[in-house]
Amino acid sequence: MHDVVVLGVGQSEFGKFPERGIAEMGGAAARTAIADAGIDPGDLQAAFSSRVYEAMITSQTILKDLGVTGIEMVNVENACAGGSTAVRSLYKDIAAGYVDVGIAIGVESMTTSPVAGKLIPPDRYDLDGQMGLSMPVLFALQAKRLMETHGAKEEDFAQVSVKAHEFGALNPKAQYRKRFTVEEVLGSRMIADPITLLQCCPNTDGAAAVVLASADFARKYTEKPVRITGSSLISGDYDFKRADLTTMPLGVQAAAAAYEQAGIGPEDVDVVELHDAFATEELVHYEDLGLCPRGESVGLLRSGATSLGGRIPVNPSGGLLSLGHPLAASGVRIICELTDQLRGRAGDRQVPGARVGLAQMLGGAATGLDAGAASVHILTV
Amino acid sequence: MTTSTTSTPFREGLFREGPDGPALLAGRCTRCGRVSFPAPDMCLDCRGRELETVELGGEAELLCATTVHMPNRHFPPGHAVGFVVLPGGVRIFTQLRPVEDKPFRSGMPMELEIAPLWREDDADVLAYRFVPA
Ligand SMILES: [Zn+2]
Repeated sequence: MHDVVVLGVGQSEFGKFPERGIAEMGGAAARTAIADAGIDPGDLQAAFSSRVYEAMITSQTILKDLGVTGIEMVNVENACAGGSTAVRSLYKDIAAGYVDVGIAIGVESMTTSPVAGKLIPPDRYDLDGQMGLSMPVLFALQAKRLMETHGAKEEDFAQVSVKAHEFGALNPKAQYRKRFTVEEVLGSRMIADPITLLQCCPNTDGAAAVVLASADFARKYTEKPVRITGSSLISGDYDFKRADLTTMPLGVQAAAAAYEQAGIGPEDVDVVELHDAFATEELVHYEDLGLCPRGESVGLLRSGATSLGGRIPVNPSGGLLSLGHPLAASGVRIICELTDQLRGRAGDRQVPGARVGLAQMLGGAATGLDAGAASVHILTV
Repeated sequence: MTTSTTSTPFREGLFREGPDGPALLAGRCTRCGRVSFPAPDMCLDCRGRELETVELGGEAELLCATTVHMPNRHFPPGHAVGFVVLPGGVRIFTQLRPVEDKPFRSGMPMELEIAPLWREDDADVLAYRFVPA
């Protein structure tokens, strides 16, 4: 296995841009990542891109405008974990020695997608989907269990969103750069009790890209490489195997695999970016990632450890709640954020002295499964 | 709801209606005993190939409930959904019908109801939902 590093990162503007095609947004992210890496577009040997809606030759559509043709291009989909899947696929090809350098891109035009402004449903023929299951509904029901089993209050869920927006206000790339109070979050329109509008990620268009390279290739371009020391991708398991809805076993499994590969434990992580499409789920991920013992996620949140200036800041980018969530872009975008954090160039939201970052994404729902896919990457300097 | 229009079950093999009330139908593995709803083609636990149809009855316990304030495909804003646990521990996602004076709370007894839940191709679609008992 070759060591793999993040050589360059790029993110397009995030927001509502129905007039912008995926070539424009993906191209903006890819150009930035290639320039950040310091390579020539012609150096790229492989491309993996992800998009959930209306996906067709996404890599080619974006990269033809950058002069990149005639290389291996693969296009993947894994719901919200699609971007992470693209990153991991490229990571594996470089680690295995098939290619030395490549690009992973995630892009989504949510405002022009069939789910614009709607609750994101599972597959059209999915049983639970037909019966009214959607992503916010699933997380609302999980939140109800957290209130029963963990003593979580509606104010705690709102606090997750308040925290995300405090970070987002410091991030020039965030869709929303506005702070909210707990009262404002609770007072916003109810979507699925207890989840209010300000506890849901907004509809967002945008793209993110990373250039990955073998450590050997990267040596010419950087003296302080950000290494990928752990990478995992796990599909969902049968729902009947979990005792309760307040854990997602595939997330536990993805975390364990990444920690083992990196040779570290959760106590070694300095900064986390995770899937907070809905504020309530963040508490579940705390426990599934091992950031606190089982049952103590509410205490971890209330302690302020995961907030700005805390022991282990979670979603310093502003998260999906504040930065925005172009589905397939988010898995790539979290790698961008952590790379900036580990390089010490995250501006006002910099986590001081961060050396180890953990990026987690979760995606998809289907009847009988705990979720579709979970992915964890660990970055180290 | 009127009975003058045609009605079709949402899917075959999910439930049956009888004189003693409705029941959900599940598949029970003859090898390991795992009961699955909806009945799968093979046991999802041990991959056994032989399953027998069993009735899960019409009683359940509410695990959690939420009211959804957005339209969601077949259902208008204000519909209630949740997870209920059937005898034997089978947990399913379902529509819920609220009843005045019986607010949803975890652990409350629930009763199965087969009702027209939406319309498709000019016919009522019959599906399952649970009501506070
Ligand atoms: Zn079996």
